[in-house]
Amino acid sequence: MGAVVRAEGLTKRYGRNRGIRDVDLEVDEGEVFGFLGPNGAGKTTTIRTLLDYLRPTSGRAEVFGMDSRKESVRIRERVGNLPGEFALEDRMSGEGLLRFFARLRGVGDLRYAHELAERLGADLGRPMRRLSRGNKQKIGLIQALFHRPPLLILDEPTGGLDPLVQEEFLKIVGETRAEGRTVFLSSHNLAEVEKICDRVGIIREGRLVSVETTGTLVNKAFRRVRMSFAGPVDPGPFRALPGVKDLQADRESLSFTLHDNLDEVIKLAARYELVNLEYERPSLEEIFLAYYDGEERRS
Amino acid sequence: MISDKAQETRKARRRHRRAAGRAGGGTLFALVLHALRSQLRSVIVWGLALGLLSVVTVASFPALEEQAPAINELLESYPPEMRELFGAGEGTDLTTIEGFLASQVFNFMAPLALAFFPILAASNAIAGAEERGTIDVLLGNPIPRWQLVWSSFVATALSLLGILGILGLATWGPAVALDVELSSAKTAEAVLNLWPLCAFFGGLAMLCSALFHRRLLAVAIPGAVLVASYFVNALGNTVEELEDARPFTAFYYYGSAIEDGIEWARFGGVTLAALLLVLLATLAFSRRDIYT
Repeated sequence: MGAVVRAEGLTKRYGRNRGIRDVDLEVDEGEVFGFLGPNGAGKTTTIRTLLDYLRPTSGRAEVFGMDSRKESVRIRERVGNLPGEFALEDRMSGEGLLRFFARLRGVGDLRYAHELAERLGADLGRPMRRLSRGNKQKIGLIQALFHRPPLLILDEPTGGLDPLVQEEFLKIVGETRAEGRTVFLSSHNLAEVEKICDRVGIIREGRLVSVETTGTLVNKAFRRVRMSFAGPVDPGPFRALPGVKDLQADRESLSFTLHDNLDEVIKLAARYELVNLEYERPSLEEIFLAYYDGEERRS
Repeated sequence: MISDKAQETRKARRRHRRAAGRAGGGTLFALVLHALRSQLRSVIVWGLALGLLSVVTVASFPALEEQAPAINELLESYPPEMRELFGAGEGTDLTTIEGFLASQVFNFMAPLALAFFPILAASNAIAGAEERGTIDVLLGNPIPRWQLVWSSFVATALSLLGILGILGLATWGPAVALDVELSSAKTAEAVLNLWPLCAFFGGLAMLCSALFHRRLLAVAIPGAVLVASYFVNALGNTVEELEDARPFTAFYYYGSAIEDGIEWARFGGVTLAALLLVLLATLAFSRRDIYT
């Protein structure tokens, strides 16, 4: 499988500090790639540069092997895009908007659009000005999906959607992947990224700091450990072990985060009568926060 | 289920290949049609508002006709600068319906007011769409940026013709009904002559819309140029210091078509200037970032 999206040294500067710097990125065909970072980290700037809304200060990007700058129209023929901050013409209905976009794309059949509207519970008959934010978001999703593009670029796709609709959307993304199409989505909803993404890229202050498979990111992260003992336990030896952090103790129990060294922790615990052991994998959100925290301390 | 979906995906791929082969004429047509639809309500409102002015002017002419020589005399007593400013310069004869319409509608209110229609429409097309945030979704489609500029300009130019059609009917219709002698050809020339002038200011607004990201600037700059051009041209007839500046205003080439007919060379020149402004807008918009 080849790379559908490729960025090399992609840089976009607005002022002194904002924008993206030297972003090297590859998104493979058929994968769901999650682009993570807090607001202002550079997610939207990267997407807008890939789609030629913004012109790179330096570096280059290719989508389907085509230059993002010179062949943007041909790229957009093959991309369904949901912008992060968008608005729809107030007086138009969802149906009117989809018919207009279908004409622009040479799509004659709107059955899939109607199927998506039914699944997401979107009202296509009302003018946009009468729709809530969540309902506008649904129309935004449908206009990105209805022409079955080989690449979906979705900037914060579930913003404003209720949990049931979010679940349905994740199913649709799963079906998209099953059809061999590619999804590039930015989010700071880490739970949804964890559920659906094959790989994640973490962007921080305009720099892509890590790209991992979601599994690797989760597996190499810390674990939350809670131990209960039959009698009093001395926390000192546990605290001294490398890899043990944030230890909290009361007379007969310990809780801490474990970054490494599970074997020695278990051997030390075995010296006492252990009555309960909880070993929790953190959510991607906690991993992400820890990642940021660590980066900040290093810098 | 999956195989059905795989088939759909194959169909989609074929469609994308077909779309890639299309020259883009279809998208331009769809964009023009869309812009025309969204301007339809404005066309009716502007047409009726200016048409009402014309209806009232034509309807009041028979009553004023008998007193017209006295009004002409009164007008002669006004300072020439003031007469020029209100569209009744030297040579305008208020005893004729053509002169009366020129002074009340076609040389004053209509060009100054109607030029704001393309200014508002053109400023809305780029800077306005950026401010509202609608441009991102639209440009997610395979549309070259130049098509966004030209489709908006073409739609606005056609909408202008629609407004002018209503204005023409609202001028000629009452004249026929009230037995006022006004030829349909003169009326057609009078309304058509407004088109290049308004298109010019539309082109200027399009350029400002393409250069700046703010709609306010795309309205205020051409609006200020419009008013300043009118004053410079009108006063330049009588104020010697402004005379040399008149050829640099679009109003200089406007004339008074209802009295003298259209001067086609000037009509073509202003139209070309409008197209040049849109071309510059296309170049500017193609080179800049889009913010929402």
